[in-house]
Amino acid sequence: MSRVLTIEMLFPEVANLHGDNFNITYLGQCRPDARIVRTRLTETPAFVTGAVDLVYLGPLTEHGQLKAIERLLPHKDRIEALIEAGTTFLFTHNALEVLGARIRNDEMDYDVAGVGVFELESTLRMFGRYNGKVMGTVPTVDAAHPVLGYKSQFSMVTAPESLPGFLTADRGIGRNTTTAVEGVRRGNFIGTSLIGPLLVVNPHFTRALLAQLDPDSEPTLAHESFALNAYEARLADFHDNRRWHPFERVQHESKQPNHP
Amino acid sequence: MRQLRLLLTLRLLTAVWAAKLAGVAIRALGRQGTHTPGLIARKLYPGIIGAVQHPAQVVVVTGTNGKTTVSNLLTEALLGEGLRVASNRIGSNLAAGIATTLIGAVTWTGKSRADIAVLEMDERSAKLVLPDLLPDVLVCMNLTRDSIKRNAHPAYIAWILSSAIPASTTLVLNADDLIASSLGAESNPRLYFSVDRLPTDENSPRGAAVDVAICPVCDHALDWDYWRFNHIGKVYCPACGFRAPDAGYRARDVDVASGRLTLELDGESRSAHLINDSIVNIYNEVAVAAVLDRLAIPRDRIVAAFEHLAPPTTRFALEVIGAVELVRILTKGLVGVACSRAFEYLSGFVGRKAIVLNIDEVSERVTEVENTAWTYDADYEYLAGDSLAQVVVGGVRRYDQALRLAIAGVDPARILTVESEVAGADRVDLDGIDDVFNLHSVHNAVITGTPVQKRLRERLEERK
Repeated sequence: MSRVLTIEMLFPEVANLHGDNFNITYLGQCRPDARIVRTRLTETPAFVTGAVDLVYLGPLTEHGQLKAIERLLPHKDRIEALIEAGTTFLFTHNALEVLGARIRNDEMDYDVAGVGVFELESTLRMFGRYNGKVMGTVPTVDAAHPVLGYKSQFSMVTAPESLPGFLTADRGIGRNTTTAVEGVRRGNFIGTSLIGPLLVVNPHFTRALLAQLDPDSEPTLAHESFALNAYEARLADFHDNRRWHPFERVQHESKQPNHP
Repeated sequence: MRQLRLLLTLRLLTAVWAAKLAGVAIRALGRQGTHTPGLIARKLYPGIIGAVQHPAQVVVVTGTNGKTTVSNLLTEALLGEGLRVASNRIGSNLAAGIATTLIGAVTWTGKSRADIAVLEMDERSAKLVLPDLLPDVLVCMNLTRDSIKRNAHPAYIAWILSSAIPASTTLVLNADDLIASSLGAESNPRLYFSVDRLPTDENSPRGAAVDVAICPVCDHALDWDYWRFNHIGKVYCPACGFRAPDAGYRARDVDVASGRLTLELDGESRSAHLINDSIVNIYNEVAVAAVLDRLAIPRDRIVAAFEHLAPPTTRFALEVIGAVELVRILTKGLVGVACSRAFEYLSGFVGRKAIVLNIDEVSERVTEVENTAWTYDADYEYLAGDSLAQVVVGGVRRYDQALRLAIAGVDPARILTVESEVAGADRVDLDGIDDVFNLHSVHNAVITGTPVQKRLRERLEERK
């Protein structure tokens, strides 16, 4: 017997770039009974006062990142407690950086502290946007169905090796050009720079996430055949060596490439 | 000191001559040569955009959508005034193209032979162009989402522009676009243009790509006097009283039937010919009027110019075959906002529709894997509804497109996927259809758009 899931989208009026909010639109179509709470910047997040099954934050502008930090900073302890308690979080693209320790943007002339939940530091290069693909396996899905996604970002992230990644890239780069470790996974917290949107282009991962959110019901994917066919076509492309550029590889520290 | 100046002059002339000679050679090969001469000149003299003699006035036109049309219209209007106009309207809008145009407008001795320059500029080239060019006027039509990979988001492009706009430049800005209207510094003289509320406008925004939602003063949610598309419309903050700027140049009383509109020109109303009834071209017309007024062209002649000015209409074509309308629409893949406008236009047809949809980008097909995130920045939701009988999706990313359509609310039973892009023209069911649409992108216009159009035309002719 399924129960009503509560999904909170944080600040969708400013965190809505790159079509990534369709992560939640799609999840909502997979679970039409889900209650989706859209929390504005000026409102107190639902997770502060009540139970939420999934907390989502999507891609932001640089200014939007600073606004999100300002609004989430007072709730740092609550976020940490929820992560510790096993609440599911999904922060995509540069939303993860909001929870880091520091965001540095020399070109826009700021260097600010993040919410500080994770020991991440982000450095933005406003004239060095990185575009590339990533493919890597995750523990919740069998190895035949790796997570696929795209990076399109100004930032590179550094973090201690002890902080587990969302995935380790078999192809493509991770948090930055010198590591294959991508994003952050702590308990049921997932932070990843991958766009696509992640849940739309990775039906196997989405099925696993649905099962995690509601273990007592059989997960159902919306528009399953289209989703699976799209995944298989993309997977075949991602396995094609001709489609990977040299800059999409993890580089040694000493010879980092200029991003096209 | 004099020797140094002489050396610089010689270096400048060398760059001018090299560019001119390169242009002659390239044109002799049958190509236009609008980019390479400037590229060579900038290699030889990196500051050439500032150093080469400029016409007496320089106007730069930029923005996501409309800059080419506005540059063309302005150039035509100024030529009609008998002015000698330097324009890059047939060439590159990057720094090299602008250098080519400026060099083309000077003699072999470096003397300007144009009265005015009208230069279309790619937004991302601002840092390479504006600080040296020091334009008298900069027009920004709008800043909406463009390529995710290249342009990121509109606020990023606004930051690039604002970082590069000289303090002395007069800005002509779209008051209905809060991002574009915020360009520049307080010191910049500025005037605004807008289009008054239209019957088709709404009271609140919808869609995937709304980039203005919170008050820049207090973060409160903004309200809208009218909302048009994306973040275009007139906003105000109910909490702190912030309002979008009022425009001195406005289009109002747009009457499509009579082909007229009223232009408010800084306090004076003039009736004018409506050059085109699409909203984008109404903005283009009022922006052109604002710039011409700023350039002190008499208002009678501004209005008169619109009698013969016409925007290019290459993005869609409609033909009636029997009882069926066959509509071809260039639907720019990788740019969700552009696709939304095409889908919205299509949704305005009231009959029973069928669509052949091929809007993947060839440019990403051979050695890349197209990042399809852009499809979620596009409002495919315009296509959902009972009037859509069938959509046939072709090409490499057909399942991604089908999935996007289904998520948008298109009945999956009405979505057909075919491997070949061109085969959609044969597979689409034309029974009972009033309007057939051929949607293709830029780079597959010839290899897909044209053969699909030809085959659809043949099939409709056979059914007459």
